[in-house]
Amino acid sequence: MIRPVLARREKVIPGTQAVAFVVGIAVALVLGVVLLSTSGHSPAEVYERMFDSAFMGSDSLARTLERATPLALTGLAVAVAGSMGLWNIGAEGQMMAGATIAAGVAMVADGLSGPLLIAVMMVCGVAGGMVLMLGPALARSHLGVSEIITTLMLVYVAIRVVEWLETGPWKDPDSFGFAVIEPVPEQASLPGLFGRANIGTLIALGLLIVFWLAVSRTAWGYELRLAGSSPNTARYAGISLRRKILTALLLSGGIAGLAGAVQLTGSATRLESGLSNGYGFAGIIVAALALMRPSGVAVAAVVFGAVQVGGQSIQTLGVSSAISDILQAMILFGALVAAVFFNYRIRWTGPAGQLPGDEPEEADLAVEGA
Amino acid sequence: MSEAALIGLFVATVQFGTLVFLAALGELISERAGVLNLGVEGMMAMGAVSGFMVGLETGSPWAAFFAAAAVGALVGGFHALVSVVLGADQVVSGLALTIGGLGLAAYVGRNVVGERPETQFTDLGIAGLADIRWFGEIFFDQPPVVYLTVGLGLAVWFVLARTRLGLALRAVGESAPTTDAVGHSVMALRSGAVMAGGAFAGAAGAFLSLYMAPGWTEGMVAGRGWIAVALVIFGAWRPGRLALGALLFGFTLALQPRLQSFDIELLGVEVSRISPALLGILPFVLTVVVLVIISWRYRHRPSPAPAALGLPYRREER
Amino acid sequence: MASENADHAVWLRGIEKQFPGVIACAGADLRVRPGTIHALLGENGAGKTTLVNVLAGVYRPDGGEVWVNGQRRHFHSPADAIAAGVGMVYQEFRLVPSLTVAENIVLGAAPRLLRSSEIENRVAELSAAYGMAADPSRPVWQLSMGERQRVEILKALWRDASVLVMDEPTAVLTPGEAAELGAALRAMADDGRSVIYISHKLDEVVAFCDEATVLRLGKTVATVEDLETVDRAALAELMVGSSEGGYVDRPPPIEAGGEALVLDGVSALSDRGLPALSEVTLTVRSGEIVGIAGVSGNGQKELAETIAGLRSPTGGRVELNQQDVTQTPPGARYRLGLAYVPEDRLGVGLAPKMSVVDNSVVRSYRSQRQGLMLVMAQCLGFCRDLVEKFGVRVGRLHDPVAGLSGGNLQRLLLGRELAEQPSVLVAAQPTRGLDVQGVAAIQSHLVAQRADGVGVLLISEDLDELLALSDRLMVMYEGRVVAELDPDAATRGEVGSAMAGQVSA
Repeated sequence: MIRPVLARREKVIPGTQAVAFVVGIAVALVLGVVLLSTSGHSPAEVYERMFDSAFMGSDSLARTLERATPLALTGLAVAVAGSMGLWNIGAEGQMMAGATIAAGVAMVADGLSGPLLIAVMMVCGVAGGMVLMLGPALARSHLGVSEIITTLMLVYVAIRVVEWLETGPWKDPDSFGFAVIEPVPEQASLPGLFGRANIGTLIALGLLIVFWLAVSRTAWGYELRLAGSSPNTARYAGISLRRKILTALLLSGGIAGLAGAVQLTGSATRLESGLSNGYGFAGIIVAALALMRPSGVAVAAVVFGAVQVGGQSIQTLGVSSAISDILQAMILFGALVAAVFFNYRIRWTGPAGQLPGDEPEEADLAVEGA
Repeated sequence: MSEAALIGLFVATVQFGTLVFLAALGELISERAGVLNLGVEGMMAMGAVSGFMVGLETGSPWAAFFAAAAVGALVGGFHALVSVVLGADQVVSGLALTIGGLGLAAYVGRNVVGERPETQFTDLGIAGLADIRWFGEIFFDQPPVVYLTVGLGLAVWFVLARTRLGLALRAVGESAPTTDAVGHSVMALRSGAVMAGGAFAGAAGAFLSLYMAPGWTEGMVAGRGWIAVALVIFGAWRPGRLALGALLFGFTLALQPRLQSFDIELLGVEVSRISPALLGILPFVLTVVVLVIISWRYRHRPSPAPAALGLPYRREER
Repeated sequence: MASENADHAVWLRGIEKQFPGVIACAGADLRVRPGTIHALLGENGAGKTTLVNVLAGVYRPDGGEVWVNGQRRHFHSPADAIAAGVGMVYQEFRLVPSLTVAENIVLGAAPRLLRSSEIENRVAELSAAYGMAADPSRPVWQLSMGERQRVEILKALWRDASVLVMDEPTAVLTPGEAAELGAALRAMADDGRSVIYISHKLDEVVAFCDEATVLRLGKTVATVEDLETVDRAALAELMVGSSEGGYVDRPPPIEAGGEALVLDGVSALSDRGLPALSEVTLTVRSGEIVGIAGVSGNGQKELAETIAGLRSPTGGRVELNQQDVTQTPPGARYRLGLAYVPEDRLGVGLAPKMSVVDNSVVRSYRSQRQGLMLVMAQCLGFCRDLVEKFGVRVGRLHDPVAGLSGGNLQRLLLGRELAEQPSVLVAAQPTRGLDVQGVAAIQSHLVAQRADGVGVLLISEDLDELLALSDRLMVMYEGRVVAELDPDAATRGEVGSAMAGQVSA
């Protein structure tokens, strides 16, 4: 019987992830054409509307940046943990936790001047994200409990707590019976840039640059990369893995929490259970597409932001905005599959065929040498 | 509080328990074979919408139920293709499946929102037993899916514990190279498990849209898929404990909308003043606690978590 | 010829197998008669494991024939080999720890429906028949290494294997368990099955086996039909063989200086929790090379790791330049002057996916800082110097090191360890697997370090290398230093005997 096997390519094709990303976008667009035309829409018209609403004109660009900002921040949060080989699946929850603490502080400190209040809220946002991450981080670093599940579970804890605050303790008495929390004080709004974009975008951009510098240009980042890429080498170099795991996860939670504070002081008017709006989960996809690199996070966040803005805009054509979720997922799947084929090739093996690419795997060499 | 309200609470407990048990059973099969599937939420949504639409079309709840299972298996097959056959990251693939699945379900079902099914599952009053006071209504007057799910639970337990296939599935979740070396196909076992898991999740979605909340609305799965993922861990990857956990989680789900009507005091707290939202965090908090306890208790021996969970396997890299 | 084939349980004929850059088998032959225990001997890299992996269906040979029980076979997978009656027991057991003994044994060859009592009874019968006690209902994680090995053997017997391959089976056993294993293997041979037994331990080979085949550089160099009459020292010498050329000779002895590295009664456990080092005492002085000889698995790896601080000793003291460092972490030991070239170049010494630059500063990144920042120009300069000085052939300095050849990896690693003038260098298997040029380069660096007054501890399995480079030569056997020899006076035979555990008082 002849059957296919995936064989690792000896030479990895350079620049692959960027190409994989483009392939992913292409795959998503093609599948979108199929989906749209089978349901009687004109794909060209829909795509044109999506593109125009996301990129043409400063208002459009501003809307895209408004969406890209939380995606970039949560994507960065995931990437910080990811550069050590850890998965923060709970950015969605940490974002909520950050926004919650920031909103709570704004309620009691509403006498502060705008810039000061905003700064305090940002710090509280970071703290909120870290608090929600503390349990999973300690469980991972000291007990070896998988951070994937613990961070994920706490997402719903954070969202439900906000729901509780909405209906109970923080319910706005002036809301005519609606279960909403009072708006954040007027002076705590991030200054706008143009259109709907605000300086939250610059904060995200700045953090991406700081993170890129920290990881690639500081001793701390070097230790992080070493510990993530080859734990035994890190141990050999005298680096404490436990401490690295803890700091990477807490930092990741803090950045996701900051995303919540930025969202609260930026495009949102008040804390609400829908504030995180799936940004945390989409951030995971953004970071995965970017292979945890900050430059990639920036690009992927803008593309995803544009897809989301486009998805909203086509509702006026009678097309469901759900298309944007489908496109986002398909970009990722397309890129995942493309990346696999950049790193592996299909080899057909059969009874008579030799396997010219057979290599002694490290384990076998070790046995030979042990 | 009236007797009827209390019985209603327990009837709903069994139904919600069934819903999350069915989905979690699928996740359990997949995870025991070593594949983490974070796409349950999306699979349930796909099952819910396709089940509902087939139900509208055919008028047969059973046709709808099995169509939803088939759609779930198909979506599971996609996860298997990406994460098992091609070996991409299971976490990323599963999450994308949830996002894409929710989106696709919303898109496919956009024209049936608000429609009512003509026929749906009816409660099976089991002759002689349904009339027993209290127990009859709670246990013997439920829709057929409840009994089918109990049967599926027993079947999954039996297959895992007592058959060659189950042994191979458990082994592949612990160590793919070992299982490969004795001649089992890792890809076939894992892909099969993920697809079976998808079928269970799809069926659970159909139970939701055909019986528990007849109709289709975007967001109707409302996090129950994530509860199923949590339940597998809460149940320490064992079908029996999964069933107990399902009743507990089902109880919290059933209690949430009813809290306000409960005029009793528990431990000095008026139950009606507890926020439904806070009750809703209970399954997730309990799951984290259980996970930490498991890691602590099993620190010197193999944990009940499948050892190869989340690890892709390529024969070449043996 | 066919009738002759029929006489053999296994006949591997002219097996050739090449991997990129390595010829593992170059026409190896192996004939095993039914009902015998056949030893397969050879030094590391001689091709033993590759040869048996061809028999086990893991590798396809580039050339040659595989005959099992008189039939020519073409195995495409391990499952094919199992079906043909070949059972393989690897050093790293392939068992599922959370499953029971019985479940592990029947995995892959189980009845459609499992009744645990039934399979446990059948497994118990099987284990009783060969005198291998194993409680079928216990989970495997509770078992000792010896018991796990029995499960592996029973797994093969459950599939009715007619040929059992054992890869260094006693490496994980206590002496008592080893004796039991010998008896069980004999029971199998008496039952008409054959056993291929890979081992370095000559005592055992002579005690357990009937015949032997010796491999060197992928070729069969000797077959011994009657192990009872053979001279062990001769066998040891046949095994260690001799590599071809490329050796650097150490210049005449210079006066060794003060004690740079002292181990006093150091004991340590292996990864499996078995005693691996027992009260090792040794001294390395400045300006000398102390060689550690020994068949692999006799505690050399644990010795190197304990000195480097990567393994905590269960007893004894380690002193570096008259300072007690027994509790000092690995990074601090380096700063106190201890350089370490680990046996695992990639994965411990170097991070495979990181770049040449990143790997070159693993030791020194703390001193390439300015405030928080790592000065990239400085790192690059450091790396460039290193690459130049040690003749590392690299493409781009920002490419991952995983793409470098073994010799260049080792040049990079050694260069990095020597960059900051250490006072002690521990080098574990520094030339293993390198080509002639690479070997010569690494060896001349070691000799140069000696001349600079560095105390060098050289752990190697290459006897010629040790004899050529060492000022003093110590031999390890079962975790102890069993002999100290003068490399100028000792013969290969003497060293071989000591490595086999035969110490003349």
